[in-house]
Amino acid sequence: MKALVFSDEPKNAREIITYLRGKMDIDAVSQEDKELVEYGADTVYFYRDGFVDNLSKFLADHIVKNKYDLVFISSTNLGRELAGLLSFKLKMKCMPEIFYLENKGKNITKRFFHGGKTVVEEESNLRMFTVSPGICDAEKADKKSEVRNVSLEKSIYKIINVKSKETAGTDIRNAKVIVSIGRGLGSQENIEKVMPLVETLHAEISGSRPVCLDYKWLSEDKQVGLSGKKVRPDFYIALGISGQIQHIAGIRGSKTIIAINKDKSAPIFEECDYGIVGDLFTVVPELVEKLKK
Amino acid sequence: MDIAVLVKQTVDMDQIKLNDENEPIMDNLPLKMDILSKNAVEAAVQLKEKYGGKVTGIIFGTERSTSTMKEAYAMGVDEGTVIKGYKKSDPMVTAGVIAEELRKAKYDIIILGDQSSDSYSGLMAGLIASELEINVITNAINIEIKDNTADITVESENEDVTVETDLPAVVSVAQEINEPRLPKVMQIMMAGKKNINIVDGNPKYEDDTKIISDKAPDSQRKKIIYEDGKGIDEIAKILKVVK
Ligand SMILES: Cc1cc2nc3c(=O)[nH]c(=O)nc-3n(C[C@H](O)[C@H](O)[C@H](O)COP(=O)(O)OP(=O)(O)OC[C@H]3O[C@@H](n4cnc5c(N)ncnc54)[C@H](O)[C@@H]3O)c2cc1C
Ligand SMILES: Nc1ncnc2c1ncn2[C@@H]1O[C@H](COP(=O)(O)O)[C@@H](O)[C@H]1O
Repeated sequence: MKALVFSDEPKNAREIITYLRGKMDIDAVSQEDKELVEYGADTVYFYRDGFVDNLSKFLADHIVKNKYDLVFISSTNLGRELAGLLSFKLKMKCMPEIFYLENKGKNITKRFFHGGKTVVEEESNLRMFTVSPGICDAEKADKKSEVRNVSLEKSIYKIINVKSKETAGTDIRNAKVIVSIGRGLGSQENIEKVMPLVETLHAEISGSRPVCLDYKWLSEDKQVGLSGKKVRPDFYIALGISGQIQHIAGIRGSKTIIAINKDKSAPIFEECDYGIVGDLFTVVPELVEKLKK
Repeated sequence: MDIAVLVKQTVDMDQIKLNDENEPIMDNLPLKMDILSKNAVEAAVQLKEKYGGKVTGIIFGTERSTSTMKEAYAMGVDEGTVIKGYKKSDPMVTAGVIAEELRKAKYDIIILGDQSSDSYSGLMAGLIASELEINVITNAINIEIKDNTADITVESENEDVTVETDLPAVVSVAQEINEPRLPKVMQIMMAGKKNINIVDGNPKYEDDTKIISDKAPDSQRKKIIYEDGKGIDEIAKILKVVK
């Protein structure tokens, strides 16, 4: 079986290739990424200045010409656009947002449903998939891929302006310990009050969606959840996070979840290993004190 | 300017209870407007307020979807069509049905949510653009209309990129684009009286996908909860291993 992996985010391509490796032959199309050749794909195709129009044209031709059995597209903005376009163009129905795949003649896939509340396991003959970021940890392979550069047609879209955003370095998906903050923290200034815990545990800090997106107390790459990062640390410590299903969907891979919340009925207490019902501003300093001893 | 907005109705997911097998009990759940559809409606109405024109709402749903269309009216949508026949989430089927409706009129811009709050497929924008053979831009956080073009700012993790596209175009919006308005009582009352165009859809479901299971993931969590100031010693002990 032969599969094509597409991602405009090379790090997602590395994960998907790792996940599929050994189960099928893989080619990949991605933005240029020196490392990508080390993950076991047969051929990687690098492109530049890709937009939805020139990429969909290239991919449609490429998929037909090379007779790929399966097509995996990383779920990014551009990836989802392309999946939609290619779906109709190639008359290939697409299974969205999978995080699990098994091939037993038919394809068994899993994805979240009802906003993250449930997981549906489905059986189908579908051949196109969008893949939720973080399907596995990327690991290098022994084999080096062949590299080909592809030149795309000029896009009909014009870039007018690019504004880079502040992203604060480390990728929270690699963290062993995460201290995560929610709306219960009250204000950005209060981050200072939980930093001693972060430092004592050599942890990374992350946040719920409102904290990262709406209030911007943390940068967006620190958002954990269904539409953010899926993390899997040894310890995930949730401070002032209610634990709505969309947040839980991002932390299920954590080994141990600890929650501090002043509301006894907060749903996070249904999804944690250890919980303290209490005010985080009194509990956290006490905990730090104990840890320092 | 003629603006179309695609509105999805979903069950209220916060109200979903589980049975003993951890399966969701889907009967008699209240229905509501998909969260991102609300942002789409708000974006469409704001465009009308800024540039003039008309907003048409489209729902592919059931008889029960009129309540959601009324909500869209109350927010400022001018007229709307509910297409009946929705049975389950199947993006290609939904896109086919909606595209057919969209072909009946000429729209300058078609607005929808980036990913809906229940199925989260996020394929609709590309599918519809493909059917109508027009441009597509997703995850917009700002839309500025020029004569026959639009400047659309798209959000991604590392940068915000502003792109110029010809119109007509399909544009999906991110949740950050706006704060959907809460309609006033007067608007809700007026909306209740307005006509809703209800048509029969002609969805062609091919049942090539079989659901093996639909369950809340098993929570193996220990759920040891401390109250009344207790638990700090215990948790400190557990965390000592990382120090
Ligand atoms: C399509 C979609 C995608 C989404 N994706 C995500 C996602 O990826 N990630 C995500 O996080 N959310 C996501 N959400 C949003 C999600 O539904 C919730 O709104 C969000 O997770 C709530 O964030 P929160 O827990 O910080 O805030 P809240 O729900 O407001 O919770 C704050 C908590 O803090 C507690 N608290 C207050 N003060 C204190 C104190 N002094 N001490 C201790 N506890 C205190 C309160 O009891 C409360 O439980 C998504 C929603 C949609 C519709
Ligand atoms: N049945 C539907 N009727 C109208 N609009 C829909 C429907 N399903 C999806 N949409 C639109 O498409 C967006 C993305 O949905 P989805 O592809 O399900 O993630 C939603 O936010 C809606 O704006």
